[in-house]
Amino acid sequence: MSDREGTLTAVKPASLKEAREAVLDTAGRISIAGAGTAADWAGRLGHVDAVLDTTGLSGVITHNPGDMTVSVHAGTPLRALQEELAKHGQHLSFDAARVADGATVGGLVATADAGPSALVHGTLRDLVIGATTLLSDGAVVRSGGHVIKNVAGFDLAKLLHGSYGTLGVLVEVVLRLHPVPKAIGTVVVECDLAEAARLAGEVLASQLEPTAVEWLSSGRLLVRIDSTEEALPARLDRLTRLLGDAATVADGDGTAVWAEHAALTRGEKGAAVLRIGVRPSLLPGVLEGLPAAAVTAGLGTGVATVSLPGTAVAEAHAAVHAAGGTSVLRSRPADLDAPAWGPPPSALAVHKAVKQRFDPDGRFGPGRFDPWEIS
Amino acid sequence: MALDPVARAAIVAALGPDDVVDDPVQTRAYECDGLTGYRVRPEIVLIPRDAEAVARAVKACHRNGVPFVARGAGTGLSGGALPVADGVVISLARLKRVLEVDPVNRRAVVEPGVTNLEITAAAAAHGLYYAPDPSSQQVCTIGGNVAENSGGAHCLKYGFTTNHVLAMEVVLPDGELVTLGGDSAEQLGPDLRGVFLGSEGTLGITTKITVRLLRTPETVRTLLADFPSVAEAGEVVSDIVAAGIVPAAVEMMDTLAIEAAEEAVHAGYTVGVPAALVVELDGPIEQCDAEFAQVKEICDAHGCTRLHIAGSPEERAAIWRGRKAAFAAVGRISPDYFVQDGVVPRTRLAEVLGRIADMGDEAGLRVANVFHAGDGNLHPLVLYSAAAGETERAEELSGAIAELCVELGGSLSGEHGIGTDKACSMPKMYGEEDLAVMKRVRDAFDPEGLCNPGKVLPTPRLCGERPGKYRPHPLEESGVIERL
Repeated sequence: MSDREGTLTAVKPASLKEAREAVLDTAGRISIAGAGTAADWAGRLGHVDAVLDTTGLSGVITHNPGDMTVSVHAGTPLRALQEELAKHGQHLSFDAARVADGATVGGLVATADAGPSALVHGTLRDLVIGATTLLSDGAVVRSGGHVIKNVAGFDLAKLLHGSYGTLGVLVEVVLRLHPVPKAIGTVVVECDLAEAARLAGEVLASQLEPTAVEWLSSGRLLVRIDSTEEALPARLDRLTRLLGDAATVADGDGTAVWAEHAALTRGEKGAAVLRIGVRPSLLPGVLEGLPAAAVTAGLGTGVATVSLPGTAVAEAHAAVHAAGGTSVLRSRPADLDAPAWGPPPSALAVHKAVKQRFDPDGRFGPGRFDPWEIS
Repeated sequence: MALDPVARAAIVAALGPDDVVDDPVQTRAYECDGLTGYRVRPEIVLIPRDAEAVARAVKACHRNGVPFVARGAGTGLSGGALPVADGVVISLARLKRVLEVDPVNRRAVVEPGVTNLEITAAAAAHGLYYAPDPSSQQVCTIGGNVAENSGGAHCLKYGFTTNHVLAMEVVLPDGELVTLGGDSAEQLGPDLRGVFLGSEGTLGITTKITVRLLRTPETVRTLLADFPSVAEAGEVVSDIVAAGIVPAAVEMMDTLAIEAAEEAVHAGYTVGVPAALVVELDGPIEQCDAEFAQVKEICDAHGCTRLHIAGSPEERAAIWRGRKAAFAAVGRISPDYFVQDGVVPRTRLAEVLGRIADMGDEAGLRVANVFHAGDGNLHPLVLYSAAAGETERAEELSGAIAELCVELGGSLSGEHGIGTDKACSMPKMYGEEDLAVMKRVRDAFDPEGLCNPGKVLPTPRLCGERPGKYRPHPLEESGVIERL
């Protein structure tokens, strides 16, 4: 973040009350920061006067194993939460790569991150059932609740999903949980993208119910099965037969191949990392047209993460947009001057109106949606 | 105050007289939705033929400051499509084309007037289906499902409408046509699609919807089990969850609901048992069979008095017919009834049912219970006779049950929506500041407040001025959150 004035206040509240006081007592513009695992994602942060560090807002508030819900302080690292939940055989069905780097629950929501299992479980927008949010004028709003089924009132957590710290500070988040799969297996096929796309089509048309179907630029297709212990061997066997002679079952539960997936998703050092989403059938074509070094491609979700030379970013946005998709820049070299976003969505006026109502003085996250002039 | 003649002429001209209904006898057909206790006759009903016509209609209303209410099949149960006096109803009944079924990308593009079940019918040839399945799925429309974020019996495993809609074309309250969402789960910025879904028609009118389709599961296994008490049946649900099984559906009916349903559709339920559970599992055959065996053991361990396993698709359909018929069937054992839709954390089911029974006794009214036991979504049916002057008492009991759910850490509504019916109860669930920020969202989309006004958020006009004294947030009272 920039610090042109030379005085950058840092505050680290330990409660909702302290967070509210910090926002009200701090003059000027504020950057909301979690663990810093995605600090340079999306538009480059403009000048701010203070950083609000949410990592002091940490820990489980209530976990109701019988109800499969948990409420946590938003600065809790998801990794730590998962360890807590695992004691009860439960987890948040969410596997974004940077969870392992200590990313916070709030940060993962704000950046709309997701991992391979989004194919079945969706993104965090699908798993957050309630939230407490602090706005820049000190208003505190609770939306949703502690039950998985609830249609009372506007679902404000959805607005915070993908807001990149521009609308409010997530203070508490309520999540819906799932049982930890009793057995996990991954089938690997060494192949190029075109062959992977063909095989993925067959898997997705089958009734084998994969949890994730991802192609890696190291030349591997990974298909994961979450299962009961009794059923896993038979399910893997059927999957292997469907995928043909080149298919093998990864050692153990496939931790090593999925670690490779996470590393490729984080991207190459010095490259610009672009996250893209298109109609799944268009994904291989879009990827073939990009000068990408590292790629992970969700062949069922249409979501891919690619490492590109910085000079190729603008063209990549245009190519994805031409295919009807969306793209956003993640990590990039510090000196790269490339657009973080492609063309704005058609509802840009609504985005601006929401920003105006939630943060009328433009205090939170300036620059995150440049060049759209929302924040 | 009648509709200004200049405004009326402009609105009629936007569509042309052929697509306008303003005969008072005909507009009466639009005076209520599934919640028939509230009735308001609209001044004009517009029946546009395409999205552009919807946009023209909304633009004309907006320019002339006339409130408008979108309407699908009118099956909603919370008065969400209740017209505004001197206002306009915009019916989406003519936007009923399935525009595209894309089996490769497992999605369909449909217009809002398509019924929920028609989507599955269009997808079935490809081995695909649309997962959310509200009980009214044969008649309710996808546009209404989007507005209400509809659920259904299978949402425990598969989620709600919001989890199955990728994108919507929407006419904003000023008449602009925009797209919310996109071709993948990746979105540009804050998830406007997510906040629009379930906003009960207050943020705009949907004119085109892209839904996800799922591959039909390889196997479906369904059982109907009788239990000596509601508490025992509730224990079964807890044990299934504790075993790490996520059933496709778990439904419970109590003795009164069973009696009504059986009388209506003869689906093979046991009349007189205190509680019956419908449990359905689906998925790959090896897994489904292993888990189904576990569920049967759990049922036996809790004193199950009869276990009926559907042996054919017809038997499965019969079990579901009984469950889905329960609402309407209650009409056979009571002249009138109110349906409630509160949610409690699942672990508090036995407690809430006990308290509902006590409240019913106190009010001298019978309450039948049919509910989604897996997710704690209750549907208490308060039985009464309007002719016997019980309406007010029943209405009070019904409202008290919804508020009890909030007290127990749940919600006023799991799937029917707040609408007109429960808007005045919203302060029981949310604090003033919560509602004020929700109003900011409403204002961002609809600063003039013309789009389905009076729904979801309480207004002084509808609910009276709220008392001036500090009203603690429910979570604060329960010690979950702190007071600022």
